[in-house]
Amino acid sequence: MLHRSTRMKAIAAAPAPLHAVGAGREPAPHMPDDGDELHFCSTCAFGSVCMPRGVDKSALAELHCLVEHVGPYRSGETIFRAGERFGAIYAVRGGTVKTSVTDDDGREQVLGFHLPGEMIGLNAIHPAKYPCDAIALDTAYVCRFSFPALATLAQRIPEVQQQLFRLLSADIGKAALLAGDHSADERVAAFLVGLAERYAARGFSRTALRLSMPRADIANYLRLAAETVSRVLRRFQDQGLIAVDGRDVTLTDPAALHHLARNIIHR
Amino acid sequence: MALSDSAERGLLTGIKAAEAAPRHDAHMSSHPVPVFDADLIARYDVVGPRYTSYPTAPEFDARFGEAEYRAAARASNEDPIPRRLSIYVHVPFCFSPCFYCGCARIITRDRSKAEAYLARLHREIELTAPMFDRDRQVVQLHFGGGTPNFLDGRQMAELVESMSRQFTFAHDSAREFGIELDPRSADARYVAMLAEHGFNRLSVGVQDFDADVQAAVNRIQSVEETRAVIDAAREHGFRSTSIDLIYGLPRQTPASFARTLEQVIAIRPDRIATYGYAHLPARFKAQRQIDAVELPDAAERLALLGLTIRTLTDAGYRYIGMDHFALPGDELSRAQEHGTLQRNFQGYSTHGSCDMIGLGMTSIGRIGDAYMQNAKDLVGYYAALDAGRLPVARGMILDEDDRIRADAIQRIMCDGVIEIAPFEARHQIDFADYFAHELNRLRTLAEDGLVVLSPTRIAATARGRLLLRIIAMCFDAYLSRPHEIAPGYSKAL
Repeated sequence: MLHRSTRMKAIAAAPAPLHAVGAGREPAPHMPDDGDELHFCSTCAFGSVCMPRGVDKSALAELHCLVEHVGPYRSGETIFRAGERFGAIYAVRGGTVKTSVTDDDGREQVLGFHLPGEMIGLNAIHPAKYPCDAIALDTAYVCRFSFPALATLAQRIPEVQQQLFRLLSADIGKAALLAGDHSADERVAAFLVGLAERYAARGFSRTALRLSMPRADIANYLRLAAETVSRVLRRFQDQGLIAVDGRDVTLTDPAALHHLARNIIHR
Repeated sequence: MALSDSAERGLLTGIKAAEAAPRHDAHMSSHPVPVFDADLIARYDVVGPRYTSYPTAPEFDARFGEAEYRAAARASNEDPIPRRLSIYVHVPFCFSPCFYCGCARIITRDRSKAEAYLARLHREIELTAPMFDRDRQVVQLHFGGGTPNFLDGRQMAELVESMSRQFTFAHDSAREFGIELDPRSADARYVAMLAEHGFNRLSVGVQDFDADVQAAVNRIQSVEETRAVIDAAREHGFRSTSIDLIYGLPRQTPASFARTLEQVIAIRPDRIATYGYAHLPARFKAQRQIDAVELPDAAERLALLGLTIRTLTDAGYRYIGMDHFALPGDELSRAQEHGTLQRNFQGYSTHGSCDMIGLGMTSIGRIGDAYMQNAKDLVGYYAALDAGRLPVARGMILDEDDRIRADAIQRIMCDGVIEIAPFEARHQIDFADYFAHELNRLRTLAEDGLVVLSPTRIAATARGRLLLRIIAMCFDAYLSRPHEIAPGYSKAL
């Protein structure tokens, strides 16, 4: 989105191997190019507002005005906490953000992982309190959209309103993904395929993922034991479906993974 | 046990860095039988690291402590598939001093000393094991020393049982549990006990069978007692046996060493390591017992090395690299063929992609991108554990450049080859650009016939295979240059 920091601009100027999330092989970096006054960052959640027809420049500038670049957050730092007053929704600009809730006994439940271009905080609009924590999993950058300002703008620019509805709808749909009675293999395959598709939608590699989330978080999210996640991944590796090297996972047989995940992702 | 063995551990291990899929490409041709070029070897007989690690242990920093170790262990549990575990246990005691030895060891006949040490070792296991998730299997366990069989059957059993309770040992067929044994203080019954507790690899120190040499180094050991423990190991299903030799010892001659080699070949261990003796009496007190006049001179040392290589390769052993030979069916040979050979604290290994835990005085570990070493003396080791702290005294965290160089050095030491395109893909670098200085150094070696440089690969020649660490040194960013010699390392041979 709108760049306010010259440092970020420097990153955009060197598009070749961006090592935004640590050492990795070719496709690992999940840091978008930076936008400018008239262009959105390539991953922007609101990018599509102007893409199809082009919004006039003054409207674009208005949207940009209510965006604030925040970050970097280091791994483990909190973007917002459950119970805090809702004032803004966020879009991940770079890195990965985890949302989770913690029950009265201190047990954490991971709600999701948010990649560049994805929104967080949409579930806080009512009752104006964040219902979950948002925590950076690696070095993360976010855009902060003041919600009152965005709501006002949406009343004037139909494209912004439509995009907001689309984002809300997608957010509601996501929650059902893992609710069904699925095997560990199906869950893990769906997780990998889902991540790959989301990265691909933002212009990143479709087959090479860097998992910034600890396996305990993946396991928690998938409602599996950590050792089960690893056992399934190791088996997938032995079967030639994936290649795992540290946090880097390459989908070597995406078709087979899609087939395994079909009952979850194509519902 | 052997001198350079300790240097191996002292100077630390090899690295795995970004080890992705095994490299099946063009490996057979990468391991020509080494050509012994005496002139070339003499010219490159300079001191240098042995690259059981990169960076080497002298680079470790005392600011690395328990907190850093714990952080590394925590992070290592978070990978999608956490690495399996390899454990090294150091038993520093010996009943009598071998004069050539440069190991961290304590000479005593008082077995109660072992009890005091074991109490701390048990404590260290209790502190260490909970740092690693229980589904991370221990696939490799190695006891070194000193003399691991200073521990009697009961003590050894308690130690292994304690570890098996607190760590998760891999299934029998999937694990490599090895021990260095001194046949002078172990017998077939001891080996049977080891087998019962899951050991399946045996490494036996011999050094030399010649009576004169044995007298000069204070290690009197018969062929029969050596054969007895190796036979017992085979009988009890050990999968690999190894004998350590040392060339360059006092009173050694090509004729006497040829007899030792014949006797060793007759025993037919799966692996043979032939270390070069480095006489450093200023550094290693025991070596002051050796009369320098009786040491073979440089020309004789070369002759001994040439004889060793010729004799062992004629007898069907494959040269693996550095000091190591193995029969073609041994896992080391097979790993080298498949490009999965690794260099680590114990020399060469087939289990590279493990996190390595070092237990006991002086032991070194590697967890992810961190190295750590325990206190180097009993006082420091005991004090930390008695205070409830991990005894880690030094260490370091590898940065991106360290990892890239470690990978290059690992490939040279294990494969004798760096394939440039996959290397560039692994590290996202332009090889020629990143290693411009290194390639200049390599060109000098290429002119001398140690390596062949091409746009696609850097490959040691048959002559260069005996000088792998000279090639590897080109990639070492910590060596002081232009003299290219770091004090304190043993000679390249």
